[in-house]
Amino acid sequence: MLNQLTQYLQSTVTPGQAGSMLWATIYILVIFAGISLCVVFINWGERKALAHFQIRLGPMRVGPHGLLQPIADALKLLLKEDTIPANADKVVFWVAPFIVTTAAFVVYLVVPFGPQHAVTDMNIGILFMLGVSSLGVLGIITAGWASNSHYPLLGSLRSSAQMVSYEVAMGLAVISAILMTSFTPGSGSGTLSMIGIVEAQKAQGVWFLFKFFPLGLVAFVVFAIAMIAETNRAPFDLPEAESELVAGFHTEYSGFRWSLFMLGEYAAMIAVSSIAVTLWLGGWMRPFPNLLSGTNWDTIFSLVPGAFFLFLSAVTLYSTARMPKKLTFRIQTVGLGAFGLLLGAVGLVMLVPGVRERVQDIFWFMLKVAVFMYLYIWYRATWPRYRFDQLMRVGWKVLLPLSLGVLIVTGVVGLSPELMTWLKGVL
Amino acid sequence: MALAPIFRKIFLVDLIKGLSLTFRYQDPKEIYTEQYPLERPQVAERYRGLPRLKMNPETGKTLCIACDLCAKACPENLITVESERDPVTKRKVLTKYTFDLSRCMFCGLCEESCSTDAIELTPDYEVAQYSRDGMVLDQKRLEEGPDRKEYKR
Ligand code: SF4
Ligand code: SF4
Repeated sequence: MLNQLTQYLQSTVTPGQAGSMLWATIYILVIFAGISLCVVFINWGERKALAHFQIRLGPMRVGPHGLLQPIADALKLLLKEDTIPANADKVVFWVAPFIVTTAAFVVYLVVPFGPQHAVTDMNIGILFMLGVSSLGVLGIITAGWASNSHYPLLGSLRSSAQMVSYEVAMGLAVISAILMTSFTPGSGSGTLSMIGIVEAQKAQGVWFLFKFFPLGLVAFVVFAIAMIAETNRAPFDLPEAESELVAGFHTEYSGFRWSLFMLGEYAAMIAVSSIAVTLWLGGWMRPFPNLLSGTNWDTIFSLVPGAFFLFLSAVTLYSTARMPKKLTFRIQTVGLGAFGLLLGAVGLVMLVPGVRERVQDIFWFMLKVAVFMYLYIWYRATWPRYRFDQLMRVGWKVLLPLSLGVLIVTGVVGLSPELMTWLKGVL
Repeated sequence: MALAPIFRKIFLVDLIKGLSLTFRYQDPKEIYTEQYPLERPQVAERYRGLPRLKMNPETGKTLCIACDLCAKACPENLITVESERDPVTKRKVLTKYTFDLSRCMFCGLCEESCSTDAIELTPDYEVAQYSRDGMVLDQKRLEEGPDRKEYKR
């Protein structure tokens, strides 16, 4: 066991590459549990942030500022009656939510939380991610079909049309980022591996967002729009447009199965955000690697994760002290205090020199993904839903030509030194 | 074709404007929600709500002289005033006063008409009751005011 631990701590590659079954399994379990927990608390964060955008308070009653609301919600969902419509196709109805959730979670096999922190590093990582995440639409179609009801069917049809058409623009935008990996000086060949893409950004010393400005930016914007459509979120949430389709493809679902759809949706949101972070925002790299470089800055930035957790712990303990001193609040208060102490302990562990270099990658990655989650909520709070024809027009007539153009121009600009020499030779 | 609209479209100016607007609304100062049982909203000074029958603070006796003006003024005829003449002082003494809140439209004509300012519509807005019978307030309940739980934050 100790042997395994030291081996793990010394390895510089992912457990999958090192061939360590044990650590790969642990990683899978940790990622599954972590993402589920994130989904639960993003749900709280979304309700809370959405409420503040709409000058409301949001959940306030269960725990301080409604912090325990997701737990109450989960409990309620699990205890709810699980109905299957009389004429539904039972087997397909039963399988559909599992397809959606599985597709959303399998993607995390290759998400690089750090150079060592991924389950494995596939040489076709990004291809795998795009392929598996598009399987989610299959679950949505089967859900709509199996419900044997008008609204779910219409919702799932919309969803499939939307996902299929936005996948094209998304894929082209991704290709232009992959193309950029091949312009690393001295290497000459690109890579599809998720870790390789981040390493390429490191080697080129620039996030692909700023590469060949504004080409990287445009590709990123195309991807950012397409990924909202892919995950069926506002303003492209036509498959679940409440005003016309009740709740879209999951109208007939309730209880546990419905919560699986929610889990799948939010897990998919995190997954596509991590694609965007990996491709354009430098993955696990800390911010300002060029502007604030040097070992001093490295140390300072590696202290940030621990400090962040200590800050969270301080906030939690402060609000524990401010809890009402009533008997009915005793369990909540003790639980919150324990949570605060736990956060503090995590923060202290993260400050230990050996650990902090290894952990900060995960922190920066998650921070960037969290920004995307915030943006998702912000968009949802701000923009009205598109009409279906507008949605298709944006997808096919704007994003597709734009991403295709960016791809071509990126190729030309990237090869311009070679083109110049070739032209000189010809002339 | 004018250039400005095209630029607005390309750089998504309108969308960004909307985003900045909603972003500003996140300021906790903007929050409009009242956490009702914990925080009681302030209504206007002249708001007409739950009725109250006033007492003389020194003697603790009712100010009502049983003149029946309020009952006559009320368009809904929901106030009943019963009285008997005190044989000694030869004055009318209030024996029964009921106020059927379920029919009241809070027009305030009763308090306008009262010659001693005995009946008053207070700014208390929690007039809900558990039963229809509970809506009929007698003299005691009108004088004591509602009995309710106060919530603390
Ligand atoms: S407020 Fe109007 S309706 Fe109500 S009791 Fe007085 S006079 Fe009658
Ligand atoms: S008008 Fe005033 S004094 Fe006369 S009966 Fe009504 S409440 Fe009493």
